Amino acid sequence: MKSLWNRIYTFRAVWLAIALIFLFALPSFLSLGHTSLVVEMLILAVAACGLNLIMGYAGMVSFGPAGLYAVGAYTTALLIVKANVPFGLAIMAGPVAAAIIGFLVGWFCVRLTHVYFALLTLAFSQIIHTIIFQWYSFTGGDNGIVGIRVPDYIASINHYYYFTLALTVVCLALMWMIGNSSFGKTLQAIRENPERAEFIGIHVRIYQLAAFVLSSFFLGAAGSLFCGFNRNVFPVYAHWIKGADIIVVCLLGGMYKFLGPFLGSILYITLDKVTVSFTEYWPLVLGLIIVLLVLFLRGGIAGFFTEKFSATTIRGSREER
Amino acid sequence: MILEVEGLTKSFGGLMAVNKVDLQIEDRELSSIIGPNGAGKTTLFNLLSGKLRPSSGRVIFKGEEISKLSPREICLKGIGRSFQRVNIFPRLSTFDNVQIAVLSEQKKTRNLFIPVRNMVREKTKEILESVMLADKEEVLAGLLSHGDQKRLELGIALATQPKLLLLDEPTAGMSPEETKKTTELIQEIVQDQGLTLILIEHDMSVVFRISEKIRVMHMGRMIAEGKPEEVKANNEVQKIYIGEEA
Repeated sequence: MKSLWNRIYTFRAVWLAIALIFLFALPSFLSLGHTSLVVEMLILAVAACGLNLIMGYAGMVSFGPAGLYAVGAYTTALLIVKANVPFGLAIMAGPVAAAIIGFLVGWFCVRLTHVYFALLTLAFSQIIHTIIFQWYSFTGGDNGIVGIRVPDYIASINHYYYFTLALTVVCLALMWMIGNSSFGKTLQAIRENPERAEFIGIHVRIYQLAAFVLSSFFLGAAGSLFCGFNRNVFPVYAHWIKGADIIVVCLLGGMYKFLGPFLGSILYITLDKVTVSFTEYWPLVLGLIIVLLVLFLRGGIAGFFTEKFSATTIRGSREER
Repeated sequence: MILEVEGLTKSFGGLMAVNKVDLQIEDRELSSIIGPNGAGKTTLFNLLSGKLRPSSGRVIFKGEEISKLSPREICLKGIGRSFQRVNIFPRLSTFDNVQIAVLSEQKKTRNLFIPVRNMVREKTKEILESVMLADKEEVLAGLLSHGDQKRLELGIALATQPKLLLLDEPTAGMSPEETKKTTELIQEIVQDQGLTLILIEHDMSVVFRISEKIRVMHMGRMIAEGKPEEVKANNEVQKIYIGEEA
């Protein structure tokens, strides 16, 4: 079985090319409704991979990804609606604003670890939610901001699909590079054993903060993309329930594989739509899935498959946990 | 003089774990600290390496006071340590475990976009070779045998290019053969690289084989110091330490 995975892995460039061609051709054989689902998947994948930079790589479980996602979405929305900033610029400003807020939030959060870190990120996320929710004159409160105009060349669903696809590819490529860089390896070392990392001369907090800022950047990018897609933004984007979605996507796909969150988002949105079509109890189904994941499939979908088809060393990685 | 310790004290509540310890360590000196369990040996290492802050006293490394520095800063100054209980990066490969320490030492951990795969390969392999783990570089560190993990522990410490190496029971839990092999290996590495070594060890064969100087700790105090033969002949030491074993 080892050789099968190795063979798949050896031709990864080919698989990547096939996947890209497939994604490029997708709108021509999907209905508009389904294409827009794929857009949602791509955007969710950017958010989940962004969160996974800190969760999977650095081992920092954040409960507050939604706050940063919303910062991206609202920055883009407000710039377009209030300041008439061109769409392209507003899209780019989203992730930058999220990174800046991420720096401020992360500055405090990386001082804590484990559950305290998680709770503080949740607190900051809820603060962002409250600000958005209460500040009627600026953010529109619970009415949100509606009717955001996008340029004509990306106004159709298919065009917006290509726009999203291009930015998703860029974002994922950047995150892939970060994950495979010496910085990414350092984050993994910190995840495994922060104490030992200090003893080999690594400034753990600075790396955690840098990871937090990068993660915020990509969460913000996802928020901005979703703002352009939905053309409305609402305070619920910053709500912890949205954050839980992103966390579950990471768990579902697998935190310890780069493509885990990507697979997770495809599966999550598919499950969501399929379940909703025959029962109103999607949250119940989701709950069951989470229980099963945590009990039987800690490595998520990606972890499950690499384990099945790979060498014993990776199987061992689960036992270690 | 590479390391000077003056009146170093650490108390935990009422317990004086380390009590007014003075030490003078010469450059390239190979020494051991022995003493019964609970004598304060590991606490002393924790103070020297920054894991704990002393209650009082000073630690001077290469003429510079380091008693208030963090483990990271002390590592950068040139003190490397291994741990009594295996302290590695379990779900990274053996190669990665050493590579990350080499990267850190060479200040190459900040690169965001160059693949890490090919960075500092030679140096990492060389260190793996020296601790006899070259054939296990792909194995996850958490799955190595205990003896291999102890040697990996040593490899990680060496990768930070220390001037002063603190080894806390590097052969604990090893079989007699492994102990012998590891002892030779430590001796070889320390001599090749001209390191200063302080060793905590219970296995007297290791202690007598490696050390030029032995210090004895008991109840937080340094009670004897000298060449191996002198320490062996010391009455007090026999009473509290060697006597205890017999």
